[in-house]
Amino acid sequence: MTTFSNTLPPGRAIGAVVLALMLGFALVGPLLVPGDPFAQSLMKSLAGPDSGAPFGYDHLGRSLWHRLAHALRLSPAIALAAVVTAGAAGLVLGTLAAARGGWVERLLMILADALMALPGLLLVLIVLAIMPGTAMGFWAGLSLVLWVEFFRLTRAATRSTLASPAVQAARLLGFRWPYVFRTHLWPEIAPLMLTAAAFGTATAIMGIAALGFVSVGMRAPTPELGLMMVELLPYWREAPMALLTPVLATFALLLGLTLLAGGQKA
Amino acid sequence: MTLLHATDIAVFDGTNRLLDPVSVTLEPGEPLVILGETGSGKSLLAQAIMGTLPENLRAEGQVRLGNRSLRAGADRAAFRKLWGREIAVLPQEPWLSLDPLMRAGAQVAEAHRLVRGLAPAQARMQAGNDLAAFGLGAAVARYPHELSGGMAQRVAIAAARAGGAPIVIADEPTKGLDAARRNDVAALLLGELGQGGGLMVITHDLALARMIGGRLIVLREGTVIETGLTEQVFADPKAAYTRDLIAADPEHLPARKTGAGTGETVLRAQGLTLSRRGQVLVEGLDLTLQTGRILGITGPSGCGKSSLGDALLGLLPPDAGQVIRAPYLPPTACQKLYQDPVAAFARKRSLGQTLTDVARLHRAPAGRIETLLARLRLDPALLARRPGAVSGGELQRLALLRAMLAQPRMLFADEPTSRLDPITQRDVITMLADLARDEGLSIALVSHDAALIDKVSDDVQRFAAQGSDIAAAMGRDKAMVA
Amino acid sequence: MNILISRLVQAATVAVLVGAATFAMMRSLPGDAAWRIAAGRYGYDNVNTAAADAVRAELGLGGHWFPAFTQWMGDLLRFDFGVSLVSGQPVIAEITHQLGASLWLALTAVGLSLLIGPPLGVLAGLRPGGALDRGLLVVSAALKAIPQFLMALILILVLSVQLGWLPAAGHGQARHFILPALALALGLAAVNARIARDAMASIAAMPFYHFAQWKGLSRRQVLWRHGLRNVSVPLLTYLGLQFVTLVEGVVVIESIVGWPGIGHALVHAVFARDVPMVQGTALMLGLGFVLVNALIDLAVTRIDPRGAR
Repeated sequence: MTTFSNTLPPGRAIGAVVLALMLGFALVGPLLVPGDPFAQSLMKSLAGPDSGAPFGYDHLGRSLWHRLAHALRLSPAIALAAVVTAGAAGLVLGTLAAARGGWVERLLMILADALMALPGLLLVLIVLAIMPGTAMGFWAGLSLVLWVEFFRLTRAATRSTLASPAVQAARLLGFRWPYVFRTHLWPEIAPLMLTAAAFGTATAIMGIAALGFVSVGMRAPTPELGLMMVELLPYWREAPMALLTPVLATFALLLGLTLLAGGQKA
Repeated sequence: MTLLHATDIAVFDGTNRLLDPVSVTLEPGEPLVILGETGSGKSLLAQAIMGTLPENLRAEGQVRLGNRSLRAGADRAAFRKLWGREIAVLPQEPWLSLDPLMRAGAQVAEAHRLVRGLAPAQARMQAGNDLAAFGLGAAVARYPHELSGGMAQRVAIAAARAGGAPIVIADEPTKGLDAARRNDVAALLLGELGQGGGLMVITHDLALARMIGGRLIVLREGTVIETGLTEQVFADPKAAYTRDLIAADPEHLPARKTGAGTGETVLRAQGLTLSRRGQVLVEGLDLTLQTGRILGITGPSGCGKSSLGDALLGLLPPDAGQVIRAPYLPPTACQKLYQDPVAAFARKRSLGQTLTDVARLHRAPAGRIETLLARLRLDPALLARRPGAVSGGELQRLALLRAMLAQPRMLFADEPTSRLDPITQRDVITMLADLARDEGLSIALVSHDAALIDKVSDDVQRFAAQGSDIAAAMGRDKAMVA
Repeated sequence: MNILISRLVQAATVAVLVGAATFAMMRSLPGDAAWRIAAGRYGYDNVNTAAADAVRAELGLGGHWFPAFTQWMGDLLRFDFGVSLVSGQPVIAEITHQLGASLWLALTAVGLSLLIGPPLGVLAGLRPGGALDRGLLVVSAALKAIPQFLMALILILVLSVQLGWLPAAGHGQARHFILPALALALGLAAVNARIARDAMASIAAMPFYHFAQWKGLSRRQVLWRHGLRNVSVPLLTYLGLQFVTLVEGVVVIESIVGWPGIGHALVHAVFARDVPMVQGTALMLGLGFVLVNALIDLAVTRIDPRGAR
C-alpha cells in the first residue's frame, strides 16, 4: 500500500480524497451530531435542516444526516468484505491455476467462464434467496460474482510472469518459489489487484443500491442508499433535496472509486 | 540532375539540439548510406527529410526536390503530398508494416488505385504484376501472417513503390535479419536503383552499408563524423570513431586464442532430439561442452538454437536422447544470458537489490560484487537503478555479473549481443571470452551472425534453416497484437 | 472449431450452475412452501392438504436431496422448466412471451450506444491528449460512476417529471422506448467510447498505420481502410462481454419503468420465490450470453484471419 501513495496520479489522488471524505462523514458524522437514524417524527416529515438533522428529514421524519451516515457505512462495509474475500480467493486460485496448469487450470477457467456468462445481479439475487440474512447474502453473492475478475487477472499476470526470462533466470540461479513470488509475481499483481479492488467495490455498492432501489435488496427500515432513493422518489416535488442527498452521496462514492481505480486495464 | 537536396537539416527537442546541421544530396543511380548507432541521429535526419518527425520535435533546414522547396519541420501538409508520389519510404519491420487484416495484393493495389489513380480492376492487375515480378504471384491472396519475413519485405517494397516515387528511403531495412536475408534486402534495394532512381539507406549495419556502396555519411551523437565514398571510407577510415567502428565489425575481430583450459567435459548431449509444436528442430545431436572453451552455435532464426539451450539447461525435456552433466556439478552450475537483458531482471527491483540477493543465496564472499563490477568496467552507481534505466550493454554485463555470482561452470549465452551496437558487442564478447579462459568456464554462444561465431568460438555447431518461417511469423504476430 | 467447442462447454457449465443454484433455492424455501405455492396457484380458498401434497411431490420438495437433484437436473437438460409457481403457466410460454419486449429494448439500447460511443472514441483516439480526448475522459468517468438505475432515475426526473417530454413508464409506443433505452445506452456508450478510443490510439501508433500513410494514402483513406477495420475487432469482442452489463441493466430498468420483459419478470419471480421462473429466465440469460459471444467469435474470425486470439 505504501508503494502507490507517493506516486499517485492526479485522477487517483482526487478519487482517494473523495472517498476519504465520504467515509470520514460516515464514521464521524453521527459523533458530531448525535441522533438516531430510525427515530420517526411525523411532525417533521420532509422538514428542512435543523440543528439535530443538518440534512433535513425524510417522509417519516427521520434525520437524513443519520440515515445517510448509516447507509454509507453499510454498503461499503459489505462491499469491502466481499472484495477482500473475492480478492483472496482470486489470488490463490489464479496463482494456483497459472502455476499448476493442466486440469486444475482448465476446470477453474471453465467455472470462471460460466460465471462470467451470468449477470452478477442475478447470482446475487439467487444467493440472497438461499442465504439467511440479507447482509450475509449480499456478502456471499457478491464474493461469488467478484472473485472471477481477480482470478482472471492474477492468472494472466502470473502466467506471463512465470514464462518470462526473469523468472527463468531466478530459478536457474537457485531461488525458491517464495522468493520468486515476492520479487517477481507480487510486484506485477499488486497494482492490478488494487485497480480491480476499487472497481469491484464500486460494482458491489452499485449492486446493493440497484437491488435496494427495485425493492429486492435490503429491507425497509434499514438505511440503504438505493432504498432511501426509492422511498423519497414520490416526494420529489415537495422535497427535492431529500432525494438528492442519497443520489449525490452514491455518485460521489462511485466516482471516488472509479477515479481511484485509474487506468483502463481491468 | 540532382533528385533531392537537403540543406542544413537540424533537429531540436525544445532547446536541446539532437542533430547538428547536415546537408545531403541524392543523385540518380548513386546510393547514399547514413551509418550510425542507435541515438546517433540518423533516423531523425531521415524523418526530417521525409517530414515524419514526431510533433514534439522541431526541425530546421530546407528540402529541395526538383524545383520545389520545403521547410523541414514545417509544411507538414506539403511533405505529406510527397509520400508515395515523390518519396517511397520503406518500413523498418515489414511484418509490422502490413495491415494484419488485409490481403497482400490489396495492400499493393490500394496504392495504385488511390495514389496513382488507376481504376480498381487495373490497380488489382498491376498489383498482381508487381508481386509476380518479385516472385510472389502466389502471395496476392494471402494475409501478412501467412507470409514469411522475406515475402513480407517484398510486399512492403511493392506497396511503397506502387505510387511511382523516384526516390526510395529505407530506414534500418535489415533490423533483426540474419545474414542471408540481409543480402536479399541489399540486392532488392540496389535493384530499385536500376531505373535511375535515388536510394537513401539508413543503417547501423556495416555489412549492409558496404553492400549498398555509393556515398557514406557516418553520424555519431548528432554530428557528422565522416563523409566520402563508401568504398574509400571502409578501406581507409579517417576519423577515429569510424576506425573503431570498422574494427569492431565481427569480420575484423582478432581470432580467438584458445585458453589453456583443462578441457574437462562439463556437459554432454547424446542423440538429442527436440521438437516444438510437432516440428522436429534438432535430431540426433551429439555435442560436448568443455571447460575453458567456447562452443559457437549459429543458424537462421527459428532453427532451434534457443530450444537447444533450454534442453542443455534442463528446462526442456528432450524427445529423445539425453543431456549428461558432470557428476560434481551443483544444481546452479549452468547459467544463461538472454538476448533481451531487461526482461531477465525483476522489473521493479533495483539492480543492487537483485545482485545482493544472489550474492547472499550463493554465500559469495564480501566484496565479490565490487570486484566483478571493476572487472567488467561497470560503474557501481548503476546498482541504484532499475533494469529499464540502464543501457543495453551495461545491463548485459550486469547479467553476466549476476551469473558469475552463482559460480557457474557453464554459461549458455543466447544472442547476448544482437541488440548491441558493434563496439559494445565487441566489448561484451571479449569479456565473455576472457572469462572462459580465466575462470575455466564453458560457454555456449548462440548468434545468428556467423562471422562473429567464427571469430570467437573454439568449436562451431551450425544449424540449417528449418522452413519454419511461418511459425516464427505467427509468434511475432502475437507479440504485436498483445 | 475450437472456439465453438469451448462455447459449448461454457453453455453446459452455465446450465449446471443455474441448475445447482436454483435447486438450492428450491430446497431452501420456507417449510410451508408447497402450501403457499398451491395457494398461489389455486387461490387460498381452494387449498387443501391434498393439493399441497401434490405440489410437494411434483417439485420433489420432500425426501432425500440426491434423487431430487438428479431429477431436477434431468428436467433442466431436457429444457423442461415446469410451470410457474405463481401463474401456473408453463415457464417456456411465459419467457417467450416476455423475451420479445426485452430484446427490443436491449437492441435499441445497444444501437444507441454504438451511435454515441465508438464514433466519439475513434475521434478521441486519433488525437490522444487532445481536447476531445480529455473531455471524453471526464464525461465517461462521470457516466461510469452513475449506475444504470440512477441514470434511469435522473432521466425520469428531468425528462418526464420536470420537462414532461416523455412518459416515465408504460409500453407499446415508440416514445416509451426512448427513456429506458437512453438510460441503458449512456452507460454502455461511456465504456464503448473508452474501448474504441484505446484501440484507435494504439492502432494509430502501429507501424502499419504509418506505413499506409507513407504509401501516399490520405488520413481519411487510412482511417477508413486500415483504422476502423482494426478497431472493430477489440470493440466487437468487448461488446460480447458487455452483454452481461446490458442484461443487468435490463433487469433493473425494466423493473423501474414497468417494462413487461424478462428482467421485470425475473425480479418478480425472485420476490415471489417462483423458482421455476427464476431457473428458466436465468438459463435463458446465461445461454443468451454464450450465443451472442459465439456469434461474435465467428464474426471476429471472419474479420481477423489470424484466428487464434
